[in-house]
Amino acid sequence: MLQGVLSRAPATESPAAAAMKAKRAPASPDEEEEGEGRPARGKRQQLLGLGSAAAAEGPETRGLRLLSLLLRCAEAVAMDQLTEARELLPEIAELASPFGSSPERVAAYFGDALCARVLSSYLGAYSPLALRPLAAAQSRRVAGAFQAYNALSPLVKFSHFTANQAILQALDGEDRLHVIDLDIMQGLQWPGLFHILASRPRKPRSLRITGLGASLDVLEATGRRLADFAASLGLPFEFHPIEGKIGHVADAAALLGPRHRQQQQDEATVVHWMHHCLYDVTGSDLGTVRLLRRLRPKLITIVEQDLGHSGDFLGRFVEALHYYSALFDALGDGAGAAAAESDERHAVERQLLGAEIRNIVAVGGPKRTGEVRVERWGDELRRAGFRPVSLAGSPATQARLLLGMYPWKGYTLVEEEACLKLGWKDLSLLTASAWEPTDAAAATPRRGSQET
Amino acid sequence: MDTLFRLVSLHQHHHHHPQAPPAPSSPDQHHHHHHHQSPYSSRSTSRSTTSTGSRSSPASHHTHTHHYYPHSHSHYNNSSNSSGSYYYYYDPAAGAGGGGGGYYYDHHQPAPYQEECGNDHGFYMDEDFSSSSSSRHFHHQPSSAAPPAAPANPPPASSPAPTPPQPPPAQSSAGGHGGLFEAADFSFPQVDIDLDFSSPASSSGAAGGSGTAAASASSGGGGAGRWAAQLLLECARAVAARDSQRVQQLMWMLNELASPYGDVDQKLASYFLQGLFARLTTSGPRTLRTLAAASDRNASFESTRRTALKFQELSPWTSFGHVAANGAILESFLEAAAGASSSSSSSSSQPPRLHILDLSNTFCTQWPTLLEALATRSSDDTPHLSITTVVPTAAPSAAAQRVMREIAQRLEKFARLMGVPFSFRTVHHAGDLAELDLDGLDLREGGATTALAINCVNALRGVAPGGARRRDAFVASLRRLEPRVVTVVEEDADLVASESDASSEEANTDAAFMKVFTEGLRFFSAYMDSLEESFPKTSNERLALERAAGRAIVDLVSCPASESAERRETGASWARRMRSAGFSPVAFSDDVADDVRSLLRRYREGWTLQEPGTDDSAAAGVFLAWKEQPVVWTSAWRP
Repeated sequence: MLQGVLSRAPATESPAAAAMKAKRAPASPDEEEEGEGRPARGKRQQLLGLGSAAAAEGPETRGLRLLSLLLRCAEAVAMDQLTEARELLPEIAELASPFGSSPERVAAYFGDALCARVLSSYLGAYSPLALRPLAAAQSRRVAGAFQAYNALSPLVKFSHFTANQAILQALDGEDRLHVIDLDIMQGLQWPGLFHILASRPRKPRSLRITGLGASLDVLEATGRRLADFAASLGLPFEFHPIEGKIGHVADAAALLGPRHRQQQQDEATVVHWMHHCLYDVTGSDLGTVRLLRRLRPKLITIVEQDLGHSGDFLGRFVEALHYYSALFDALGDGAGAAAAESDERHAVERQLLGAEIRNIVAVGGPKRTGEVRVERWGDELRRAGFRPVSLAGSPATQARLLLGMYPWKGYTLVEEEACLKLGWKDLSLLTASAWEPTDAAAATPRRGSQET
Repeated sequence: MDTLFRLVSLHQHHHHHPQAPPAPSSPDQHHHHHHHQSPYSSRSTSRSTTSTGSRSSPASHHTHTHHYYPHSHSHYNNSSNSSGSYYYYYDPAAGAGGGGGGYYYDHHQPAPYQEECGNDHGFYMDEDFSSSSSSRHFHHQPSSAAPPAAPANPPPASSPAPTPPQPPPAQSSAGGHGGLFEAADFSFPQVDIDLDFSSPASSSGAAGGSGTAAASASSGGGGAGRWAAQLLLECARAVAARDSQRVQQLMWMLNELASPYGDVDQKLASYFLQGLFARLTTSGPRTLRTLAAASDRNASFESTRRTALKFQELSPWTSFGHVAANGAILESFLEAAAGASSSSSSSSSQPPRLHILDLSNTFCTQWPTLLEALATRSSDDTPHLSITTVVPTAAPSAAAQRVMREIAQRLEKFARLMGVPFSFRTVHHAGDLAELDLDGLDLREGGATTALAINCVNALRGVAPGGARRRDAFVASLRRLEPRVVTVVEEDADLVASESDASSEEANTDAAFMKVFTEGLRFFSAYMDSLEESFPKTSNERLALERAAGRAIVDLVSCPASESAERRETGASWARRMRSAGFSPVAFSDDVADDVRSLLRRYREGWTLQEPGTDDSAAAGVFLAWKEQPVVWTSAWRP
């Protein structure tokens, strides 16, 4: 179908004309299966139109060939034409390279992900692999890559700064703090918060962090590092590791810890969650929502990727291709850059972005299950009795300062409704938001009816 | 070239409001997305005009490189990450540690969504599980139904524990999974392999790990200590035993772990998995054709040359054979030239004519040094040199012809520069090398040739093994050309299924498959390991070499031996064939041996020269070894 469309659209046509023509192409039954309520068809055909028209432009040929091949291959996968998909994979691999320009790099990882997807479709086995020895090795690599990412891109810092500012703003005056980090990893975010807390005239009387993660070893190491750091600042600190996933925690009291009863009166609880597609964090989104509803933390801070995780394969694929093209573009080309820098970029792309792409392209998407999932957490939190807290004040100022501090060109910051959005050349990449329980007594009108 | 991102963004600008045609509801979709916004309709309000700027093109190499010796080893600077920790120091070792808590497991079933939330908001059932992804393509019998989900007791900490399955929703099993593999539910963690993921991780870590030396020392070149080798061998055994459930489980594990862009284990897993996949789907030859065609379409003279030169610069893998073979050829030519001029004074007006029949796939990278040596070491008249190079092609290839034309021009130019009278001829030969018409090549140039050398670099394996002793017959046909010297360089691996030329039935037994798979894994582990340590982390040339190896692996694992040009043999085995054809070995002179030793000193540690073992009286030649494993064999012969 796709090749047919491509070849029928003469190269001389304008993109718009080619796309219109593509749209008139009769839909096959195969295609109709995919697109219920989703604009995947439209998107795909737009991209097609682009491909056929711009192919005449010359210098962009390689990028366009890759784009066209990736879409053809993804469409073959979507239609379960795995043999056809396999025929396309070697061409993609030859044109792409994880060490090339950003289109070649992003295509390398999408090609690799499609290859893995085709095989898992043949095998009928979709779930991610969770081996203990592997988890430890992976967690080390991911930790290293996150640090490199932190140096190469403002995305990580944006997440940390914004959430920390939101927490400081909301908990001003509280002197017992409890942060529940749904996916703490190495806990890179928290020393920044500690630092500001310690520099205030009145230090908090108690500071606890409950960290969730897949490996107790990693959690305990994180706890030790955080404790050392807190001690060096003279902050009281306790760490409570929970090995497991938030959506599987049955009892909210387990999160609050043994001294829950004594402390709940005056302890302010914050839940923090930075999203990614490296693995499934919640276990169950619905369980997570239920738990948050019961927990009613004083503040929830969330940093979401502006990337749909659900939906049919082709829609997910096209959206992710767009999203990661922006991320790779933002990381730059710099073929002549210092070897160390391109090594680091490669590590980031392979360990983080490439791993995410694999999960997105995998059967079932990032969760690798058919379980229902929350697509927009804002809507869900509203229904669960939370309302947005504006990040327009000090979090926005901090984020703006951050972007000004570094020579990153092309990143944009937008305040939308109560949220902060970090983008790359007009494509929104991350949305940071903060939420507080809706006070039933004080019937404050909701701010903002609908977020994007 | 611009970025994909800009291309996509640019396009969105033209189509702000895609109208998805209304599609009838599919029975598999229970959750409609009533207010799902197009990610494109709201995001892109203006066309981005930012471009990534011009990229500096790499400095072009316009000299024809005629040295084999790398100038520096400055690539191996594993400097540690200087820009990482923003807040505080992170010790990568701190994350390691053994023992610890229990394996986390949860068999909580997701609650039906509709009961709780209605269907008018942001939930979506991924239809991946309901309609596509059938496994009907396999030829295997359906495996027995997967066992039910394991209870929540954790497996022993030491054994690998596949993730607890999160079963797809009920409708998935009704879909297209009636094929040869049932939709898998790997709750049986009985993979009795202790996998060690720790050591190779450092060599591929984020920012220049410090454990490379230790890791490589422990893993060696052999692959024995590698998780990839363990899993791949298990998987191959399961394939041979037709245990489809185990095949499915191991392939799933390998697929989750493999990456062509990862560390050596991940690469081995990726390329061998591709081979196993092709074998199981009986699509080996087709897969190989697709791979070769894609490679051919995208090969240029520039990329081919860059890869070959980089390989020579960073690894002795090819230059080892070149130096030794050139040394042997040069000595025999000088001898012949001296003999010719002294014996017949009448013909002294005519310089001696030397001819090389070059059966090799090394793009003539070997010849510039020989031309130079001929020019500088010939006593009086520089002899005339003819080279007939046979380029083996699986199919007539435009790319190969392009490349060889360019090479011919450059060689002729270089010979003029060196003052060597020179003629060059390319013969493109499609198909098996044994079908090459040697007599039709006119190597004697109508009797003018003083001496003929035959140079076989990774060429003899191009004669497919099989019935009728094809390899012996080919070697014998070389003997009939009455060459002054034959140089044979082959990669040292025992990839022929049985000792004598096996009949094709024999060559395709499960035992033969296991033998070739095991030995191929050993050999390519050493190869990939040497590439990993010799090249910088981000190298397109290394990637090209790995892909070529990947094609050889697909050939070995999934294609019939009788059509294969990848069935390497050991040096000892080739030596026996040469002897039985009436050749006797020529020992490399001290000069040549010194050249080879000084060559190896120019590369990183790990490369050594090995003499053949004394236990085989037929042995000849010398070996290049990587971490004590012989990998390339080079030898010289005369009738």
